Amino acid sequence: MSRLLTQIYLFEEIFAALQEAFPDAEFVVEDKPVDDTFLKLAPEKVRPAAELLIEKFDIYHLSTITGDDAGDGVRLLYHFWSSYGITLDTLLPYANLRIPTLTDLIPGAAFYEREIQEMLGVTFEGLATPGPMFLPDDWDGSFPLRRDSDKREAK
Amino acid sequence: MSKITVPIGPQHPLLKEPLAFSLTLEGEHVIESAMRLGYVHRGIERLSQERTYVQNVHLFERVCGICSHIHTTTYCQGVEALLGLEVPPRGLYLRALLCELERIHSHLLWLGVQARNIGFDTIFMYAWRDREIVLDIMEDLSGGRVSHAVNIIGGVRIDLTPEHRDVILGQLDTLETQIETLLDVVENERSFQARTRNIGCLSLEQIRRYCVVGPVARASGLDMDLRRDAPTPPYDRLKFRVPVRYEGDAWARTMVRMLETVESVHLCRQILTTLPDGPTSVRAKRRVPPGEVVSRAEAPRGEVIYYIRSDGSDKPARVKVRTPTLTNLITLPDQLQNISMADVSVVLSGVDLCIACADR
Repeated sequence: MSRLLTQIYLFEEIFAALQEAFPDAEFVVEDKPVDDTFLKLAPEKVRPAAELLIEKFDIYHLSTITGDDAGDGVRLLYHFWSSYGITLDTLLPYANLRIPTLTDLIPGAAFYEREIQEMLGVTFEGLATPGPMFLPDDWDGSFPLRRDSDKREAK
Repeated sequence: MSKITVPIGPQHPLLKEPLAFSLTLEGEHVIESAMRLGYVHRGIERLSQERTYVQNVHLFERVCGICSHIHTTTYCQGVEALLGLEVPPRGLYLRALLCELERIHSHLLWLGVQARNIGFDTIFMYAWRDREIVLDIMEDLSGGRVSHAVNIIGGVRIDLTPEHRDVILGQLDTLETQIETLLDVVENERSFQARTRNIGCLSLEQIRRYCVVGPVARASGLDMDLRRDAPTPPYDRLKFRVPVRYEGDAWARTMVRMLETVESVHLCRQILTTLPDGPTSVRAKRRVPPGEVVSRAEAPRGEVIYYIRSDGSDKPARVKVRTPTLTNLITLPDQLQNISMADVSVVLSGVDLCIACADR
């Protein structure tokens, strides 16, 4: 047993550290009863931000990664949690749908990244993909959650 | 020694739902394992973009066949936040009552499956007999044994009379006595321990790196429960303990789940005795203002998370669902490493697999 309890940091501390490290980033603090604080970042800043959360604040819990075809690119939302939600929000342009993987920092991210790779066609650099995850073995290679994918079969 | 490969699934008596494993054995021991998901992928996330918010309540009820209520709760909670709706306290209490009943139902069902897999059929019979009490309560409340269709956006569609409440309180007393018996067997019975102790061990470090949630995480010492750590009403007003164990094996998972079941019975009783008066729901608009929300809740298997984005129409622009089983599945290759072939069934059922949830 390495440790019994993990240190819990105050949200304000994390918020201040993130603001200091990423001055260009845009913060969206929600006042809804259930919600995360969103932190809008450039794609290349996601990995440093995750590293900061892990190294400085010991936040490993990545609830999931949401991939969303927003119309002007594919949005990736990394939902972290430690008594409160912190979501790292980034937009990948269609011309360059690539982002480094987080699986070497958080092995638990593998399923989420594989799902997005399959459903939205985002390449996670360095991610091991042993075959398809949800789609059939003989799938035609299109991305079902993209806006331009054929809707007829979904109805 | 020569190696052999044993396929388990997609159709196998051990698994209640389709999931494929390929185990490489050296003698009696598993040295490598590979997993394939997707046999019950229904494209629910994509389908939800074609349905209205109201229709989606019924769609998300069908993500899982066991914890159907918690999925609609998480979804409705998110949509209500987007609408800025305040659900009446009575509605929230009834919602939580169903959540706790569902937790008891899920854990008793799981105990039966686990006992069956280790060959302890007596416990299987008793656990599933006692589960009938919960199913009866839920049927009386909602009309459905498994799919309750209780949640609507803005509250719940059911209500409770004082007489009905007293009947449920009586049923809960019976249930508690039965659960105490089951807990005693799990804790003290030698044959049960022989099959579950030191099997499928996960350390706290592994749990944290794999982002594991729910009873599997709590059996390895990760003290995390969203009902307590990020409470949504009425959990902020209820008193309960979160059982945590540190062994990290299949036995600890059984203990955590059984202790949680006892806590859930206490919670149900608290909810029923402190049930506030008033309406159970408020009217909700059909169109949802633009915005996005992240909604989390503690399902029987751990954290459920819904991300909902609205573009101002009556259909959601994107709904992302992450079920607890998907996170817990990722630990299976580590758990299966170097165990005997005979223990594979204990490990597989130990994480409480719900494949339809994971595939969506």
